Amino acid sequence: MKYDALIIGGGLAGLTCGIRCAAAGLRTAILSGGMNSLHFSSGSVDLAGYDDEGELVKKPFEQVKKICRARKDHPYAKAGLPAVKKAMEFFIETTSNAGLTMNHNGDMNHFHITGLGTLKPAYLSQESVFGPRGLEIVNSGGKIAVMNFSGFRDYYPEQTVAYLKKNRIFADRDIVLGEISLPWYMNTQKNMHEFRSTDLARIFETEKYLPRIAEEIRKGAGDATAVSLPAFLGIKNYRAIRKRLEELTGKFIYEIPTLPPSILGLRIDQALKDSFIGYGGEFIAGERAESGPVDSGLLEHINTRNSGIEPVSAKYYVLATGSFFSGGLTSNSQRIMEPVFNFKVDADSKRSKWYSWFFFDAKSHPFLSYGVRTDKNFNPVNEKGNTVKNVFCAGAVLSGYDPVREGCGGGVAISSGFACAGKIIGELKK
Amino acid sequence: MRRIETDIIVIGGGATGAGIARDVSMRGLRCVLIEKNDLASGTTGRNHGLLHSGARYAVKDLESARECIRENRILKKIARHCVEDTGGLFVTLPEDDPMYHRNLIEGCRFAGINAREITVRRALQIEPNLNPAILSALHVPDGTIDPFRLTSANALDASERGAIIMTHTRVNAIIRNGTRVEGVSCIDRKNEQLDIYGSVVINASGVWGQEICSMAGIELAMFPSKGSMLIIDYRINGVVVNRCRPPADGDIIVPGDTVSLIGTTSMEVPYEKIHDNNVTDEEIEVLLSDGEKLIPNVSRTRALRAYSGVRPLIAVSGENTGRNISRGIALIDHNTRDGLEGLITIAGGKLMTYRLMAEKATDLACRKAGVSRKCTTHKVPLPGSEKGISRRRRIKEFSGIPDSVVGSTFYRHGQRLQSIMTREKRNYRLICECEMVTEGEIEYAIKNLNVKDLVDLRRRTRIGMGPCQGELCAYRGSGLLQEYGGASPEESVELLQDFLEERWKGVRPVLWGDGLRESEFTYWIYQGLFGISRPVKIKKKRTD
Repeated sequence: MKYDALIIGGGLAGLTCGIRCAAAGLRTAILSGGMNSLHFSSGSVDLAGYDDEGELVKKPFEQVKKICRARKDHPYAKAGLPAVKKAMEFFIETTSNAGLTMNHNGDMNHFHITGLGTLKPAYLSQESVFGPRGLEIVNSGGKIAVMNFSGFRDYYPEQTVAYLKKNRIFADRDIVLGEISLPWYMNTQKNMHEFRSTDLARIFETEKYLPRIAEEIRKGAGDATAVSLPAFLGIKNYRAIRKRLEELTGKFIYEIPTLPPSILGLRIDQALKDSFIGYGGEFIAGERAESGPVDSGLLEHINTRNSGIEPVSAKYYVLATGSFFSGGLTSNSQRIMEPVFNFKVDADSKRSKWYSWFFFDAKSHPFLSYGVRTDKNFNPVNEKGNTVKNVFCAGAVLSGYDPVREGCGGGVAISSGFACAGKIIGELKK
Repeated sequence: MRRIETDIIVIGGGATGAGIARDVSMRGLRCVLIEKNDLASGTTGRNHGLLHSGARYAVKDLESARECIRENRILKKIARHCVEDTGGLFVTLPEDDPMYHRNLIEGCRFAGINAREITVRRALQIEPNLNPAILSALHVPDGTIDPFRLTSANALDASERGAIIMTHTRVNAIIRNGTRVEGVSCIDRKNEQLDIYGSVVINASGVWGQEICSMAGIELAMFPSKGSMLIIDYRINGVVVNRCRPPADGDIIVPGDTVSLIGTTSMEVPYEKIHDNNVTDEEIEVLLSDGEKLIPNVSRTRALRAYSGVRPLIAVSGENTGRNISRGIALIDHNTRDGLEGLITIAGGKLMTYRLMAEKATDLACRKAGVSRKCTTHKVPLPGSEKGISRRRRIKEFSGIPDSVVGSTFYRHGQRLQSIMTREKRNYRLICECEMVTEGEIEYAIKNLNVKDLVDLRRRTRIGMGPCQGELCAYRGSGLLQEYGGASPEESVELLQDFLEERWKGVRPVLWGDGLRESEFTYWIYQGLFGISRPVKIKKKRTD
C-alpha cells in the first residue's frame, strides 16, 4: 500500500494535516491509536493566551508575531505568521462546512468559563460559548442560572458560582443555582448517578425528550435570561438541539466543559473526522506505528501493530503522535525518548530538572515543552544526527512550546499540522 | 477564647495518641485529644504498614520481638478490619550470609514466634514473583496493617465513648502552675485560641515531643531517623517478603491494599529537618535496586509514589550520646525525671506496639488521677472489627451492587458497612474509581471521621490513592466536600489545589514512565481545562 501522505496520529494536528492533504487530492491515511486529546479539551481553540510574564494576551496574532520574531525554536516561528493565519481560516472553514460554527472576537481573544468559574482566554469557541448573542447577554446584566443535571458527579455548579462572583465582570450579577432532572429516566437499569457527559449527551440527542428537558430548565432557572449547563447538548446535531431548547425555554443557553469526556471537544473531533473522510481520506482506527528504518536519512516504510510483517509505505510521513499522554513521547528513570523512530528530543538529561517543585507553579513544568527536535521545515533528526527529509512533525510531539503556560496548544496543533500539509503538497508538485 | 475542662489531655493524633484516647475513655475518664494536623499524618502514616511477627527483631532484640508477636496476636483479634493476615517470608539471597537464616530460626524460637523453614520450591509457590535464585526461605506470621484505618478506628471508638478529638489544632503553650502542669493552650483551625484544663497531660506527639517538652520548660532530646519508602503500582506480592539478613536498607516488600511498598532506608537527620519529607533520587535508586533483588519485576512495574517518615528515637536519661538511645518504648513520668507533676511522655516504640504504649501511658495517668480500672483494649474489638456478619453475607445482602464495591467498603470499614452503604443508587455510585470509594463512604467519613480537608478524606477512604492519584476523583471529592457541608464552595477549590499539591509531593520523586504520563494528564485537566491556579494563589515556601 503506497500513500502520498501517511499521518501517524489522529488528534487535532494529524486531522488538520490530513484534511488539507486529502482536500488537495493526495492519497492520505491517518493511523489513530485511540482517543485523542480533544476528548478532554475545553472545545475552544487557544492561539496565544498568555505572554512570557504569564499576563493575559489581548490580541493573539500580535503575540504570535512576537513569538515568530523572538523564539526561533517555537513551532509558530517555523510555520510563520502568514501560515498561522491561514491555518486558522482553514480550520474555521473546515469545521463550519462540517456543521460546527467556531466564533472569534475579531483579532481579540475572548473568555470562556471553566467548571471552577475561572475565565480562560481563547481565540475560537463554539456558539454556545462565545458569539454575538452571548456578548449581548453579558452586557445586558440579566440574571444568570448556573445549572446542573441532578446527581451528575462530574460537575459542581456551586464552585462555578463562587469563583465567577469573584470576577469583576460578574461580581454584581444576579447568579442563581438550579437543577434539572428527568425522574422517569431514573428507572434505567444503569446507575444514572454514574453517568458521564456522553451518556447525558445521548439523552439530549433524543428529540422527543427535549420538551421535557426544556420544562425542567424553565422550572429550575426561573426568571433568569441566561442558563449555563454542563456541556452535554449532544455531539452531532448539537446546533439543532440548542436552537430548539432556546426556542422552548426562551433563554440563552451557555455550555461549560466538565470532567472528561468533553462533549465540546468531541464535537470538534467529530467534525474533523467527517471532513477528512468526506475528502476521501482513510482513517484507520486502532492502529499504531511501531517502528521504521530511518538510518539513511529517509523513512523507508513503517511497521504497524496490525499490519504484521507487511510494511506500510508512503511518499511522506507526518509524526503527530502527541506528547507523553498519547504516547508520542515516553520516558524511563534515565531519559526522555521518541519511541517509534527514536528521533532526537529536546529535554533535560537530569530527571530532577524535568519538573517544578510545585504542581501549580506559575512557570508550569519543563517536561511540558519537551518534544522532538525539528529543523525549520519540521523535519526531525535521527539517532545518527541526520535530518529525515520525508518525515514532518506536528502538534504536541514538537518541542519548543508549553501548551498550557502559553495557552497555545490548539493553535500550535492546527498551524503545525496545516504547515506540514503545505510542505508535502509543495514537494509533490515539484 | 474558649475553655474546656477535662480529665486527661492527649497531645498527638498518631496511633499511640488515638490509642490512649480510646484506653482512657474505656476506663471512664474524660479525654481531649489535640492533633496539629490530621490523625495518622505524622510518623504513624509514614511507615510500610507491616504487621510485624517480631522476626525482624528476633536476632538482636528479643524484648522487641516478644512485644511484637504478642501485639500481633492481639491486633489480629481487635483490629480485624485493619489487618490482613498475609503471612511473610524471610528469603536468603546468594550474596547474603547463610548463617543468618539459622540465627533467625533460633531467635524466633526464643521469642515464641512460629517460624517454619520451607523449601525454595514451596516459597516460589506461595510467592511466584520471588527471585528464583534464593537459597532458603522461612515462613513467619507477618501480616499487613493499615495505619490510617487503625488510628481512625481508635479515635472513632474514643469519640463514641465521649472523648473529644480535635484535629488541625496546635498546642501553643503548656499551662503551668509552679511545678504542676494544668493544661494546654491551643490554636485551632480558625486561628482561635482554646485553653484546655485537665489533671494529666500525655505527650504522645512522637518526634515532635521535644517541642512539647520545651514548651513545658524541660528538655527531652529526640534522635530523629528518617526512613524512605517507595510505593509501586499494583500488588505484586501476596505475602510480606523480607530479606534474611541483619536489618538494612531496602530489605522488605510489603503488600498493602492495592499496592506494594518497598522499604526502608534509614538516615539520622538533625531535628530541624524533621518536617522535610522529601525523598532523594539516591534513595529511590537504593530502594529500586534492592527491591529488584527480592522481586525482579519491581523494576518493570510503575513506581507510584515515594514518601518518608521520621522515627522518634529518644534519649531517656537526657544525655545525647548514642548508647542511651532506646529503640524500645519510653514512658517518662516528668514528675520523677524533672520534678514536674501532671506531664507524661510516651515515645519510642513502633506502630506495632501502639496499643501497649497506650496501655502503659494510660496506666500511669490513671494512677495519677486515682482511677483503678484495668485496661481492656486488648480484649474489646475496635469499631468495625466486632464479630458480625461475614463479607460473603454482606455481599449477598447488597446484591445488585457490584461485589467489588461492597467488598471494598467492607474491607476498609468492617462491620461499619452497615452505617455506610444503602441500596440507594446515589449512595453506592463510585467517586474514586481506582479505589472503589463510593459517595456513601465519603459522606460517612465527612460526617463521622473528623474530616476537615481532602487529604484527611483520603486517609479515611483511600480516595485518590490509586494509579491515577486523584485525576478525576479529586475534583469530585472537592465537590462533595462542599455539598456535605465540610467546606464552603470557595474553600473546597482551595482544598482541591492543596490536595493535588500534596499528591505531587509523592509523585515528583518517581516522575517517569506512566507516572509522568498521568501527571501530564492531571495537569492538563486542572490547569488547562479548569484553570485552577488562577483563582487560588499558591502560598509558596519550599521548606515543607
